[in-house]
Amino acid sequence: MSVLRPLHVDDLFRFNNINLDVWTETYDLGFYLQYLATWPDLCYVQAAPSGRLMGYVMGNAGREGTSSDWHGHVTALTIAPEYRRLGLARSLTTLLELVADAVYTGAFVDLFVRCQNQVAIDMYEGMGYSVWRRIREYYGSLGRGREGRDEEDAFDMRKPLSRDPSRHSVRSNGRDVIVDQA
Amino acid sequence: MERQIRAVYDALDNGSNKTAIAACQKILKKQPKHELTKTLLALALVRSQKVEEALSHCDEVLAAKPTNDAVLTAMIHVLRGLGRQKDIVSMFEEASKQIPDSEELATQTFLANIRVQNFKAAQQIAGRMHKQFQEDRYIYWHVLSAILQASEPSTSSDMRVLLFKLAHRLITASPTPPYVNADRFHLHLVILRELGLFDEARTLLESEVGKSICAASLACNEVRRDIWRAHGLFEEEGQKAEARITQQNDRNWLEFLSVIDAALLQVESKPEPDEAEKADRSARLTKTRQLFTKLAEDDGLKDRSAALALVELEKRANFYDLSSDPHGLIDVMKHYFELFGDKACCFEDLKPYVSLLEGDDLPQWTAFLQSSIDVSIDNSNVLRKLINAQKLLRYNTPELTLPEESARATQYTQQYLESLIHGSGLPATELQPADDLAILAASSFISIWQLSNDEKHLYNAAALLEFALTKSKQAFQMRLLLVRIYRLLGAPSAALDHYRAMQIKQVQHDTLSHFLISRSSTFSLAASGDLTYHTECIESSQIYISNLQDTGEYIARAFTGEKYSQIPEFILFEDRLEYSLQRDLVKVEDLRIRLTHEPISSDLIDMELIELKFSLDRLHYDNRDFDILANYQPRISASTNDQTLLFGKPEGRGWLTTFLKIYTRAFQQASDLDDTVEEKLLIGDRPKQSSPDAKIPLKDRLHHHLEKDLVELTTDELSFLKYCSTLADWLEPYHDYARPPPAVVLAEAAKLTQAKTGQPLKGVDLPPKNGTAATNGSSKKDEEPPAVVAPPTDLAQFFDDMKARFEAVKAEPSPTMALHVASLTQEACLFFLVESLRFKNPSAVKTNKLGALTQQLKPIRTAALNALRDISASLIKLAETEGTAERRKIFVDGCSPIINSNIDHDFVLNVAKKVTDSRKKVLDGYGKGMARLITTSSK
Repeated sequence: MSVLRPLHVDDLFRFNNINLDVWTETYDLGFYLQYLATWPDLCYVQAAPSGRLMGYVMGNAGREGTSSDWHGHVTALTIAPEYRRLGLARSLTTLLELVADAVYTGAFVDLFVRCQNQVAIDMYEGMGYSVWRRIREYYGSLGRGREGRDEEDAFDMRKPLSRDPSRHSVRSNGRDVIVDQA
Repeated sequence: MERQIRAVYDALDNGSNKTAIAACQKILKKQPKHELTKTLLALALVRSQKVEEALSHCDEVLAAKPTNDAVLTAMIHVLRGLGRQKDIVSMFEEASKQIPDSEELATQTFLANIRVQNFKAAQQIAGRMHKQFQEDRYIYWHVLSAILQASEPSTSSDMRVLLFKLAHRLITASPTPPYVNADRFHLHLVILRELGLFDEARTLLESEVGKSICAASLACNEVRRDIWRAHGLFEEEGQKAEARITQQNDRNWLEFLSVIDAALLQVESKPEPDEAEKADRSARLTKTRQLFTKLAEDDGLKDRSAALALVELEKRANFYDLSSDPHGLIDVMKHYFELFGDKACCFEDLKPYVSLLEGDDLPQWTAFLQSSIDVSIDNSNVLRKLINAQKLLRYNTPELTLPEESARATQYTQQYLESLIHGSGLPATELQPADDLAILAASSFISIWQLSNDEKHLYNAAALLEFALTKSKQAFQMRLLLVRIYRLLGAPSAALDHYRAMQIKQVQHDTLSHFLISRSSTFSLAASGDLTYHTECIESSQIYISNLQDTGEYIARAFTGEKYSQIPEFILFEDRLEYSLQRDLVKVEDLRIRLTHEPISSDLIDMELIELKFSLDRLHYDNRDFDILANYQPRISASTNDQTLLFGKPEGRGWLTTFLKIYTRAFQQASDLDDTVEEKLLIGDRPKQSSPDAKIPLKDRLHHHLEKDLVELTTDELSFLKYCSTLADWLEPYHDYARPPPAVVLAEAAKLTQAKTGQPLKGVDLPPKNGTAATNGSSKKDEEPPAVVAPPTDLAQFFDDMKARFEAVKAEPSPTMALHVASLTQEACLFFLVESLRFKNPSAVKTNKLGALTQQLKPIRTAALNALRDISASLIKLAETEGTAERRKIFVDGCSPIINSNIDHDFVLNVAKKVTDSRKKVLDGYGKGMARLITTSSK
């Protein structure tokens, strides 16, 4: 039970309950403004009936390397600690997939996740994502923690959309395809 | 040449402004008229803060009316750096006039006008651009500029309609249909909504394209929903919503509200229904209830929308007296709690409904919740349910008494400690499921402190939260609360540590820095050289610089990328940061801090005066986030935020206005800059005067303080205000007499500029030197000086009173109040220095025949310094008694409630050490800083 609506720039004045969480980065103004000025239809929030923000997603759409395939990308997806385990991440992502498919005619949606974050990986797998490749030292800035390599490497996970009926964006050996960060 | 210019650019990119300046000067030696080099030189100078020198180069380039792309681009940066946005507009207007075929220049002119919010000019330019360049997007630029103009507060309602009609005409005449992209479509809908053109909106929205846009665009769907509802189509909207819920599994809460609105629609329109209508209403209610019940059953624990919609439906049914079941509401609430009681948000979900329970339902509700508390906490689901039950019970507490509140504090603490086991396996980055019990206990201790006025209960709150933070390192809610508590306890360095641990950055500074900076001059040790708070002020103000640089840039990008839905919001966002209340609160607080550290000079006074006056003319936006502080206090009690405000007083517009007036008045008296001089010397654009009071002459405003403003001041701040007013009233005639005339001030400024830059000051025509205006800073007056009268006795008395106040509060365990009184006394002394600065100059005194005045100033100065001397010595002495084993013992003994609940004694002792050490440091530092100030002021 929550209001799903577009992310507005003045939500930045009210996202503290989400962004004070240790895993959520607060970027400079330019980051949020760039997303809103370019992909406003890929940025949404979930809000409680009281107006309190519960979580948000920010995404973009573009081409992958030299390929001609458009695809959607989940850049930031975050839910305030007190609103977790309510399925909010799923409904935010579902809408993003719908828009990436219908408006941006993307072939797939992808996202990056820390290899050690099993809870999130399970959740994304439940939503139809699978590991496409492993990116070395993607989160390197945080340094190697207790979990070693898994803490700084990222999985690039993909979910095919309607333009990829033969599921080219799925491969079973994705976890073994290791690339360096571009 | 190209290579040399490349080198200048490289130097600028690397931030080596010195190199850039040298390279430019080298080029200019050979080619003194090279426009681009001159521009880059101006840029390097601006970036090295050499404003006067930059100005002359900048003005030369402007005068030559540049059209070269590189020059124009660099000039944008130069003029922005100088705060001269309006000159950017005229520069592009000129360039565009010279090369009318350039689409790029026209675009820049349009965007520059948008930047200064001159929407009318922008609208005209966009209109011309469409005619000339035949691009469809310029129609939309034209349309949006008209809408932006219509939305300005200064636009009359008639004009607003006219502008929207113009926008409508333009958009319907556009050769391409609006639905080629969602943002154009959105803009069209906004116009139709404003003009109430429902049929046209309906045609658009019900077309296939319209439907598919709304399906994928939340923004368009939002406007669509508004339009539907504004036309009373609740029934239809309800059906659409129901279809979305049942067929597409949409669980957006707004859809559920639409279904409820449709069900209870006619109730409001017909307050006295006949029998048939009553039956109809009851049938609708039953039907909706059935729909939601079925959905809730199907969704189970997967989604809580339908279950909560049932609660909302019963609430409204009760409100309209439609329900036949008197216990309908409590039944669905219980059901909701049973299903979702183990979700952290359950308390917040049910909170709005609790206050509606009455009669028998209340004890029943309490008993029901109680059954979730009297349980053994076997797993984290039971724990979360227990926490929700505790919060809901506490929220509904009918009265607060000491014994009951103490019992609750003990229970929360014990349950907290018992439940820690359920989070023991979690990684250090995770929050503990039991955290909120610790916050509940702390909230309880805060209430007991308020009831008993005994500070030891705050020790318990602090020590327990510190303990909980060792278990849950990322619990920012606890840190926020600790920041508040430590400030109340007079342990500012402990507060600062927690504030910093939260790593507040970027836009969060605007919304959260109030936790640290509000009235922080009380704790600032700047007088003894510790610039911590000054640094925090600077850091938290960086966001306003980024806003000025970035937001405008992205407004332009949104135009070129045709994301029209974002533009009005970006413009408002930029204003909200630019005119942020917190921004000016920080500015004033920083000024109060800096005055204790920087020598008081006429330069400082002149600079600050201009800023202060700008702030006074502003209408401020309050973006501060107070809701972030968890509030689990009973609804009959004040919120945690209100309970933990320093000195129990909020700091807002009233406080800011009062302090701005106090400072402006004193600085204006001390300054030689009157309005005509300021106008000539001002470099950047004058900011918008958005405050409604800006129309009242400043002089009148400065003399009056409104009751609604003064309620935000503490008693001691009110005394300080009275002192400042008395001082200013007394000295006003002497300042006005002795202030040199504008011509003399300008001549002096011109001389300084000439000496600095070798160029004359632009726009200042010096009067011929015929002997009437000497340039030594003084001039002969025709009239006699005002007779010197003795100062009001209140002035010296103020310092005696403050000394007595200090004596009265210094024994309080928390040094916060003593520091408050001490800092205001010190501030009063500094004000005296500001107000008497002019009369320290012997030649000015002599020329103005005000020798008698200096004699009258002496006794006040003596009283001020004596008071400071006593207070300073007293603070240093107090510091000696802090941080001792004895003080730590008092703290630890006070913590017996939590120690008895099994919080380790040694742990509490460490917290005691932290608090008392911090007190010692601030008392000692403040006392010594004061002593230093006395020495420098006695000179």
